[in-house]
Amino acid sequence: MSSVIQVEGVSKTYRGHRALKGVSLEIPQGGVFGLLGPNGAGKTTLIRMLAGITAPDEGRIAFFGEPLERHHQMRVGYLPEERGLYKTMKVGEQGIYLGQLRGLSRAEAIRRLKVWFERLEVDGWWNRPVSDLSKGMAQKIQFITTVLHEPDLLILDEPLSGFDPINAQRIREVVRALSEQGTTILLSTHDMPSVEEMCSTVTLVHQGEVLLAGGVSKLREQARQGRVRVVFEGEAIGFTAALGAAAELISLRSMEHPRHHEAILRLPESADWPEWVKWLASEVRLIACEPYATSMREIFIQAVEAKSAEPLPAT
Amino acid sequence: MSSILGLIIAREYLTRVRRRAFLIGTLLMPVLSALVIGFVGFMASQTEGETKVLVIDRSGLITRWDDGYNAWVPTHPDCFPERADLTYRFAEEPLADSTFMNSDFDAMVDFDDAIVQHGKAMLYYERSPGVVVQGKIQSDLSQAIERFRVKSELALDYETYKRLKMKVSLVGQDIVTKDRGATGRAVIGFVFSLTLFMLISIYGAQIMRGVIEEKANRIVEVIISAVKPRVLMAGKIIGVGLVGLTQFVAFIVIGWAMTALGGFLFEQSGLIGGDTALQGAGLDWKSWLASQDELSFLLDVNWGVMALATAAFFVTGYTLYASLFAAVGAAVSEESDAQYLMLPVMLPLIASYVMASTAMQDPEGTMAVVGSFVPFSAPVMMLIRIPLGVPLWEVLLSLLGVSLTAVLVVIFAGRVYRVGLLMHGKRPTFMELFRWMRHRS
Repeated sequence: MSSVIQVEGVSKTYRGHRALKGVSLEIPQGGVFGLLGPNGAGKTTLIRMLAGITAPDEGRIAFFGEPLERHHQMRVGYLPEERGLYKTMKVGEQGIYLGQLRGLSRAEAIRRLKVWFERLEVDGWWNRPVSDLSKGMAQKIQFITTVLHEPDLLILDEPLSGFDPINAQRIREVVRALSEQGTTILLSTHDMPSVEEMCSTVTLVHQGEVLLAGGVSKLREQARQGRVRVVFEGEAIGFTAALGAAAELISLRSMEHPRHHEAILRLPESADWPEWVKWLASEVRLIACEPYATSMREIFIQAVEAKSAEPLPAT
Repeated sequence: MSSILGLIIAREYLTRVRRRAFLIGTLLMPVLSALVIGFVGFMASQTEGETKVLVIDRSGLITRWDDGYNAWVPTHPDCFPERADLTYRFAEEPLADSTFMNSDFDAMVDFDDAIVQHGKAMLYYERSPGVVVQGKIQSDLSQAIERFRVKSELALDYETYKRLKMKVSLVGQDIVTKDRGATGRAVIGFVFSLTLFMLISIYGAQIMRGVIEEKANRIVEVIISAVKPRVLMAGKIIGVGLVGLTQFVAFIVIGWAMTALGGFLFEQSGLIGGDTALQGAGLDWKSWLASQDELSFLLDVNWGVMALATAAFFVTGYTLYASLFAAVGAAVSEESDAQYLMLPVMLPLIASYVMASTAMQDPEGTMAVVGSFVPFSAPVMMLIRIPLGVPLWEVLLSLLGVSLTAVLVVIFAGRVYRVGLLMHGKRPTFMELFRWMRHRS
């Protein structure tokens, strides 16, 4: 699979602060790429470079194999985290203007806007000034103006913030549909369930460096580290006694049902999974037994905490 | 890229020109100015209705008894013309106070032959007549007494006297250029430089507010991901500048139309013919203007050159200041933060306005000449000198100086603009701004 974006050894320093320290990453074509990281990790700096707003001090960025240049921005859509519109301009005129800035003709911009306005149920607002719009409505207009020119790469920085759950779901569906149509999406968000639901690959940056990168399912599998989730009916003491040294008990908690318990176990590497399940079922009344699904939230926190716990390099 | 620049210019221009405030301001300003001037003139010419004056000529200097009318009449009736707002009756003896108060006279002018020595007459009234009416009474009476003295003391025919009488007025002329009416035309120059000062201040401030708005509502991040910051800045400056030029042209057209209309109405009103010597000569208002010593300079001003020079200095001077305003807008996050940065930008502009108002008194003085070559004051200052006839090379040199400075300012302001657009929060110090200026890309 070819890559839309290739970032190689990119560094950037602001007012003596190194926002990015030799970052390298690759955004594969198609799918949703998650750019994760705590506040101040350098995500916005990186995104601004991809959006052509700033240039790296060191390193290279390639767009479809070519060095990233201004004209490539006609194929990029950018929805920044903090966003706004010209308040006194009418909604329709503003959409046309922003579409034309991204290379659309006036007629084409009008045609596409009408389709999108209907799709996201904002038709009827064409001739109203932006100052009349509610926050959610303005967010929808901003989203539309970002995707209007059908970019190859769509950069969405916290696209769901400010939306109610219904509209957030609608935007999620639209993003998924765009992805299925071949648009590559860079999603930067702190909303981990969205990452699990939408992203195929992620990169986690922290303090200007890449901490983790890879496919979401692969990362989650790696982070599982042989853990399984077991739900059984019966006494907790009996369960731990039966378990003995067959597996390491990581956690045990009661569930809503008075006799149901959930246990997280780590199996030895040598364990034969079907045999082990069969054995456990003979020992306790088993309700569920499955590989433990590590959440992206957990992966995020673990990686960042592990990095923070590292001793500072000697200077 | 040029089409992108065109888009930005069009947006900046159209969103402003379509505003109701712009239309109202452009149309109403000249009309309101004319109305205010007209109103003041009208009020000054108005009195509170007709004033009836009884002239008491105790010594019979300027009146005689007319048997036909059975009343005292002026010896020279043309000294006391009947006017809509002023009529005269004459008597030999004053009325008693109570009789006067019960009469329909508003005022009583009383004098005897001593007036010839001390030149004073008493004016009695219950309610003081207006200044304009008093002026007319004074002028009528002076003329009548003058005629009496010419006849009695010089034994001259009054027409002969009028021919001999001289009134000297000073007409200034430049010894080199043979130019006359310089002072009057310096005032016209000042009017143009004041207009330029206002246009630069108003539209410069609009640029700044526009940049702050874009920055504050964060749309600028989306725009500069598609457009180079310098293109955005250029589009904004050109678009807003065109709004200023549109307003300037509108002022010229409306001013011209109103002058033509005013001139036409003036001709129709018959006021030109008020001067008996010119009555019936079929004068148009331009010839009338030419005949007026105080106003004839208006015809000497080359209005086309003035408009052209104002436009040229507006384009260059506005570019210079507008890019500074754009940089100020980009450097701050809120309008309230802009004040401390506005000062160094506004200072040369205000200084040139103050210098211009002083230079009006001495348009060829050192300050005016130097000021018209210093790029930051030249746009405002040169316009004062142009109506006096400045050599073309001086105007072009000044224009070149402003243009080159504008180019330099655009480059450095553009750097501050580019860096500032993405900076939020703490307002930058002057040191930081200088660092931004050195930031090439």
